[in-house]
Amino acid sequence: MSGELYACVHAPEFPAQALLRLRPELRSDAVVVLEGRAPQERVCAMNTQASQKGIVPGMTRLEVEAIGGVQLLARSIEGEASAHKVFVECAASFSPRMEDASAGTQCALVLDIAGTERLFGPPQSLAERLRAAFARAGFRTSVAVSTNFDAACMKAFATRGIAVIAEGEEAQSLSKLPVAALGLAEEHQNTFALWGIRTLGELAKLPETEMIARLGQGARMWRERALGTYAHTFQPMEPDFLLREFCSFETEIDDVESLLFVGARMIDCLVSRSARRAMSLTSLTVRMALSGGAKHRLEIRPALPTIDRKFLLKLLQLEIAANPPAAAVTALTVTAEAGQSSKVQMGLFAPQTPEPSRLDITIARLKAIAGEDSVGTPVLEDAHRDGSFHMESFAADGRYESGSKGIQRTALRRMRPPVPVQVVVRAHKPAMIHDGKQSYRVKDAFGPWRSSGCWWSISEWEIEQWDVLAEAQDKRMVVCLLVLDCARKQWQIEAVYD
Amino acid sequence: MVSAAALRVQIEQSLERRFPAALTPVSKIFREVAATGIAEVDGLLKGGLPVGAISELTGPTSSGRTSLAHAFLGRRTAEGSVVAWVDSNDTFDPESAAANGVALKQLLWVRCQGGISVERAAVNASTTRRKPRSRRGSRVDQALMATDLLLQAGGFAAIVLDLGGTDAEIGYRIPLASWFRFRQAADRTRTCLVVLGEESYAQSSAEAVLECSAVCAQAAGSTVLDGMRYDVQRSRQRFEHRGLAELRKQPVSTWSAAAAWNVEKSA
Repeated sequence: MSGELYACVHAPEFPAQALLRLRPELRSDAVVVLEGRAPQERVCAMNTQASQKGIVPGMTRLEVEAIGGVQLLARSIEGEASAHKVFVECAASFSPRMEDASAGTQCALVLDIAGTERLFGPPQSLAERLRAAFARAGFRTSVAVSTNFDAACMKAFATRGIAVIAEGEEAQSLSKLPVAALGLAEEHQNTFALWGIRTLGELAKLPETEMIARLGQGARMWRERALGTYAHTFQPMEPDFLLREFCSFETEIDDVESLLFVGARMIDCLVSRSARRAMSLTSLTVRMALSGGAKHRLEIRPALPTIDRKFLLKLLQLEIAANPPAAAVTALTVTAEAGQSSKVQMGLFAPQTPEPSRLDITIARLKAIAGEDSVGTPVLEDAHRDGSFHMESFAADGRYESGSKGIQRTALRRMRPPVPVQVVVRAHKPAMIHDGKQSYRVKDAFGPWRSSGCWWSISEWEIEQWDVLAEAQDKRMVVCLLVLDCARKQWQIEAVYD
Repeated sequence: MVSAAALRVQIEQSLERRFPAALTPVSKIFREVAATGIAEVDGLLKGGLPVGAISELTGPTSSGRTSLAHAFLGRRTAEGSVVAWVDSNDTFDPESAAANGVALKQLLWVRCQGGISVERAAVNASTTRRKPRSRRGSRVDQALMATDLLLQAGGFAAIVLDLGGTDAEIGYRIPLASWFRFRQAADRTRTCLVVLGEESYAQSSAEAVLECSAVCAQAAGSTVLDGMRYDVQRSRQRFEHRGLAELRKQPVSTWSAAAAWNVEKSA
C-alpha cells in the first residue's frame, strides 16, 4: 500500500455549467455558450443536449442558429469565478487538501482523500457521495479515485460517472485512453500519430530508452504517466471563503418577481455554503447592474444571523419593494457575510419582546408602508434647539435596563412643519392668534423664553417662545407653544401641550 | 324542611328554559392590568389599563391624553418591555416621552407620512411596468395597517395608536371590523393597545374608555407655566362590577403633570 489516495472531480463544459447552475429551468434545453465579440462569436461550451444536435466547439453563432432549437448564452467570466468558488467549497467539505487541475473550459480538482475512509467509507462510497454533493450544488461531474494523482486525473477527464482504480491496476485502467489525455503539444501528438500510437496502453509498451533518445527527457514522464506510476508533487491550494454569487442576464429584467426567482436560487446557494461550515449569514449585499451603466445597491442586515432561506428571501423582497431599482437589471451579484449562529437565552420571568426574525420582516413591511426613514427609534441629539433628534433602526436585542422613574410631565405634540399664524401683540404679549381658519383669544401667556444658536452656520436660529393658553371661538381651551422666529419675524405654533 | 340549596336548585330547574342558572351569581372575570404610573388614574381603573385589550384615551387637544399615554409607556419600558407608537399625524415628541421616563431605545416609532411621492410612484411604474400599488393610502390607513402588523407580530407590551390630530369624522369611518380584529390580535399577543383620539372610535371593542379634559394651568409667577391639572373620567370598563351609587355617576379622578422644564417637581 502506498498510503496515497486521490479523487479527481471533473466538471466538463464548465462555462455552460456555471450559467445553468443558477437557471435550472434551462437544463432540459439545448444550451450553447458563446464567447468573443459579435459578430465573431464562437461556441466555447455546451450541454449534452446541444452536443447531441451536432454542435461542436468553435462553431460560429450563425452556424448554431442554422441548427435551431438552441438557447444561446454569452460567456460570463465573473459567473464562472463565482461558480468555481462554489465548486472548491463543495470539495472542501470532503477534504481540505486539494489541487486545481483545471484545463481550458474543463474544471477539475484533485482531492487528497487518504485517511478519509472512516468518515466517508470505501473509495466507491466516497466517490458516490462526492458526486451527489456536487449534483446538489448544481454541477454535473465525473469522479475517479486512484492511488496515483495523474491516473485519477486522466481517468476523470475521460470517463462519465464514477471510476475507481484499484492499486496496481493503473496501467490497465488507463490503457484504453487516447494519447491526447496526456495533454501533449500538437507536434508530439502528430509524431505519435505517425508511429501509429493512439492509446496510452500502446505508448506504455514502447521502450523507454528509445523514446527518450527520440523525444527527449519528457518522454520518460509521458510513459510513467501512461503506466500510472508518475510521482506527482502535490501542491495543495488554500481556498479563501468568500460568499459571493453572480448572475448576468441575457435580457434586461424589469420585473421584481423574475429578479426574486434568480435571487432565491442565489440565496439558497449562499445559505448551503454557509451551513456547511456551521455558520449563519449576518448580512446580504445585493448589487444590481442597471441598463445604462448605473448601479443599485441594497443591504439586508437581519437582527440575528440566520440561515432561514424563506426569511432572507422575504427581507430581500421587501427591501426591493421599498427601494426599487431605477432601471431594468442586467446583472445581479449577491454577497454575504458569514457569522456565528445566534443563540438567544430566554428568561422565564423576562418580559415579552418581539421575536427578532419576525420583527425584521415587520419593520421591513412597515418601511414599505410608511417610508424608509419613518420607522425606527428616536435618538435625542445633544443640541440646544428643541425637538432635535434623529432616527435609528430599531433593534429588539433584549438587552434593556429596567428602571422606574414615576414622573409625569406635560407632553407636547409637535407640529411638523410648524403652523404659521398671525398674532396680535398687546403690552408686549400675544393677545390674539389667527391660524387662517379661526381666531383664538389668548387668556394667559407665559414667556418670553429667548434662545439662539448655530450663529456660525447657515442653519442659524433665534427664537422667542411663549406658553399660551388660548380660547377658541367655540370656548375650547388650547395650550400651545407659540414661537416667534426673530430672523424672519414670523409667528408659528410649534407644538401643543396635551 | 327543604334546605335553601335544594330550593335554589328547584327554582333554577323550573326556570332553566327561560333563565339558565337564574340564582347562581355570575362568575367574576378578572383581567390582567398594567399600571399607568399615575396613582390617581390607576385608582380610577382599579389597577391600570387592561392587558390584551383596547383602551381608548379620548378628549380634545390639551386634555392630557398624550401625557397619560407617555406615562403609561414610561412605566412599561421601565419594566424592560418593548413598546410602539404609531403616529398618524407625525406629532410625537421624543423629548416629552423621554421626560416622562420612556426608554426611547425600547420604543418603535412609526411616522405615517401619508400618500406616496410622485417620484416614487413613477419609479415603481417604470421598474415594474405595472400600475403603482396603492398600498400607501391616507395617514389613517397607514396607521391602521402599521398597527395591524405590529399586533400580529407580537412581543410589544403596549402599542399606542395616535389618532389625536385626526378629525373625529375620519375616525368614525374606521370599520368596526378593524377594531374587532385589533381586539382579537391584542388578546392573542397580550398587548395593550391604547388609542388616542378626539372621540371613542372602537365602541364595543374597547375594554376601557377614559375621557380626558383639562382643568387648569398651574403658573409660577406671571412668566412661567408650572404644570397642568387634568380630569379623567372613566366612561366605559367591561367586566367591571359596580354598585348602584357608581352606576349613577361615572367615576372621575384628577391628576397633574409638571412642565418639562421643572425637573424637581414630580406629581
